Amino acid sequence: MAVRVPPVMRRIRSATRGRPRLPARLSSRRVRLFAFLGLLGPGLIAANAGNDAGGIATYSSVGAKYGYTLLWTMVLITISLAIVQRLAARMGVVTGKGLAELVREEYGIRWSVFATSAVLIANVGICISDFVGIGAAVGLTGVPVQVSVPIAAVGIWLIIVRGSYRSAERVFIWFTIPFFAYPVAAILAHPRWHSVGRAIAVPHLHTSSTFIVLLIALAGTTITPYMQLYLQSAVVERGVREEDLPREEREAVAGAVFANLVASFIIIATGATLFTHGIHDISSAADAARALDPFAGHYAEALFGVGLLGASLLAAAILPIATAYVVSESLGYEKGVGRRHEEAPVFVNIITAMIMLSAFVAMIPGVPVISLLVGVQVVNGLLLPINLFFIWRLARSQRLMGERRSRGVLDGAAAVTVAVTSTLSLGLVVITLSGI
Amino acid sequence: MSSVNAPATQAPPILHLSAVVGSPLRDADGERLGKVEDLIVRLGGVGYPPITGFLVNVAGRTSYLGVERVSDIGGDGVVLRKAKLDLRRFERRPEEVLLRRDLLDRQLINVEGARLVRANEIELALVAGSWRVVGVDTGPRGGLRRLLPKGLGAHIATGEFLDWAGVEPFVGHVPTVRLRVPHPKLAKLHPAQIADLVEAASRREGEEIIQAVGDDDRELEADVFEELDDHHQQEFLEDRSDARVAQILSRMAPDDAADIVGELEEDRREPVLALLPVSQRVKVRALLGYDPAQAGGLMSPEYVALDGSTSAGDALDAVRRSEIAPELLTTVFVTSSDGSLEGSVAVTALVRADQDERLQSLVKHETPCLSPDADFEEVARQMADYNLTSIPVADEHRMVGVVTVDDVLEAMLPRGWRRRFGLLGED
Repeated sequence: MAVRVPPVMRRIRSATRGRPRLPARLSSRRVRLFAFLGLLGPGLIAANAGNDAGGIATYSSVGAKYGYTLLWTMVLITISLAIVQRLAARMGVVTGKGLAELVREEYGIRWSVFATSAVLIANVGICISDFVGIGAAVGLTGVPVQVSVPIAAVGIWLIIVRGSYRSAERVFIWFTIPFFAYPVAAILAHPRWHSVGRAIAVPHLHTSSTFIVLLIALAGTTITPYMQLYLQSAVVERGVREEDLPREEREAVAGAVFANLVASFIIIATGATLFTHGIHDISSAADAARALDPFAGHYAEALFGVGLLGASLLAAAILPIATAYVVSESLGYEKGVGRRHEEAPVFVNIITAMIMLSAFVAMIPGVPVISLLVGVQVVNGLLLPINLFFIWRLARSQRLMGERRSRGVLDGAAAVTVAVTSTLSLGLVVITLSGI
Repeated sequence: MSSVNAPATQAPPILHLSAVVGSPLRDADGERLGKVEDLIVRLGGVGYPPITGFLVNVAGRTSYLGVERVSDIGGDGVVLRKAKLDLRRFERRPEEVLLRRDLLDRQLINVEGARLVRANEIELALVAGSWRVVGVDTGPRGGLRRLLPKGLGAHIATGEFLDWAGVEPFVGHVPTVRLRVPHPKLAKLHPAQIADLVEAASRREGEEIIQAVGDDDRELEADVFEELDDHHQQEFLEDRSDARVAQILSRMAPDDAADIVGELEEDRREPVLALLPVSQRVKVRALLGYDPAQAGGLMSPEYVALDGSTSAGDALDAVRRSEIAPELLTTVFVTSSDGSLEGSVAVTALVRADQDERLQSLVKHETPCLSPDADFEEVARQMADYNLTSIPVADEHRMVGVVTVDDVLEAMLPRGWRRRFGLLGED
């Protein structure tokens, strides 16, 4: 072996003289964009899903029947909704778990399955009414339900199952844009603004039973269990960090306020037209749209229809998600918007089944939407007190929430909200069942 | 203790936790004294965890009953050994958890399947002379049994359940005693699987997993951090001191460490960098100078570069002795004394070549090379065109790093595909 082995230079080189362009890697553009989009999120989506077909029907009925008289209650309802939504967001951030998950862990399997079943029944009912709403809104242009509903169903399914959580959330935020149609429709209806102002500031009560039923229905449709369930699970899925809690809470409150402003504009729009012209009875949101036409013109009808479409699409997408979250959480299955079937079979199957069932029922000609909604309201009325009680109890638990537990004024306000809302919704159950 | 680990199939009949909780406490004569509220179990040992006592409710008061005072446990109650009832106040000893309150209905790690499951039922059996937890039912049977009224539920047969050897409970929520139960079974998982678990778990549970992993294997902890998505990396790093962050970063590949430093809050970057070991600090700092969306940001500064006069045998020896990650060792680069890149030789070519042959004669083609500001597409195109698994990056001929195929794949994966690694992966 005469070959001389040269010394091996084992050099693990480092790029010490690389150009020091520190700022490039640390580009903050992405961060800022993220922060901006972050302002719009689950809080807005959850609360606004409440302005769905059933909600719009209720608000229109309130406006047609009593004009602006019930507007003052919207202030109280907004405060209640904001408190409840804020607690749900806070629990999601702090515990990193959905409401159904926490109920299962803290109160056991029976409560959790009972609540889950109620959610399932109520949400399927609401989901059907929202597909009916989609059909009715598109129907204003003459397109038959058998065309519009399947297209909407497939579209919603694709958004939820094929996209990611982020992409789905962005689409849902787009769905809320048609809500701006209602303020415009209200302005076109030329309300007398000073009467509106007085109705907001001065509480006014009738003693008739219809008045009380509508009052309770108003509260019941604005504060619905799935809103809190969706919000908390979505906050968890979003992975909001604890230092972002204040922003998330602000968003939850802002979402509640925006949703109820929209609802109030619906009352104002119908109050200024239908009520003033003596049309006191409407049976659906689409009726309300059609009824606006002679008084506020074609634009008002079209705007009302656009708002109804956006709202129904949003709710028809949120309800299957909220339901799938609840079932997966309480039974311990994998979950996540945008998960493929093989990753989270139960979650995806629930969403698929719910969309198919609701769309199918909504296409049946002459489906009794009103009696369906009444049934749903009963189940929701039973569920809401349980739901709110859990939220209140869990949010003040030292063990779960530590320093972030609700205390003092917030806890007191939450307790009052839970008590009043529960009384109202149980009242609605009694009234509905006794057929007043 | 080998018999403790005997498979569940050979174990005596299975007793369900839900059948015992709520059942009566009886004295030796069968007289009913009270009610069983919970079972206490000691974790942390080897094998199936033994039951150490009970919480019983006698005359409206909850007290502790040691397992040594009990002669039998069954569906129709817990029977005392002596006639005399001796109750004490329950004080949690270290490593003790309550089965119903702390484990039932909560999440566990199914280590075999590397996923999170929920305990619908906890299964007990008499193993090696004492009552122990032998498994967890995560299926519908366990849940249904507890849902139905007791009489009906008892008819539901024991389904398949996960053997305790294959699950790890979360204990972070257990009050008073901050358990430091090690999770030895987790170490069997791939760091990417552990990262998936952390991402699927809630923040606290994720923290528990990472801490358990980090307590007995710092190396594994760093690997898990590399696999976490940006969002979770930041979340867990925020809670750690600068020193701890530096400790983790020092064990990571420099390009991954640089990515993490780039994501840290502005005012923490310098202190953390200052705490890194010199060699790692130099590499990370250099990488921070590049745009993460370009070849410079993708590359690793670690590679084997040798003089053209080196023989194949010596080159292989250099690869053998190198401590850098295997994916960076598929190619040996040939550089001149001033550091300019002259070519590359695949390790397979070195293996096949005559061991005395010089590297410069093994360099066949002109080696493709990227500038640090080449974008993703350019990197991917070059690697695809030349069938490369790694490609050198040179700044004006001077070699500064290597981009490997795994980095490119990660950057080029379509949005939806990356979702598996975390829901926020696409952002």
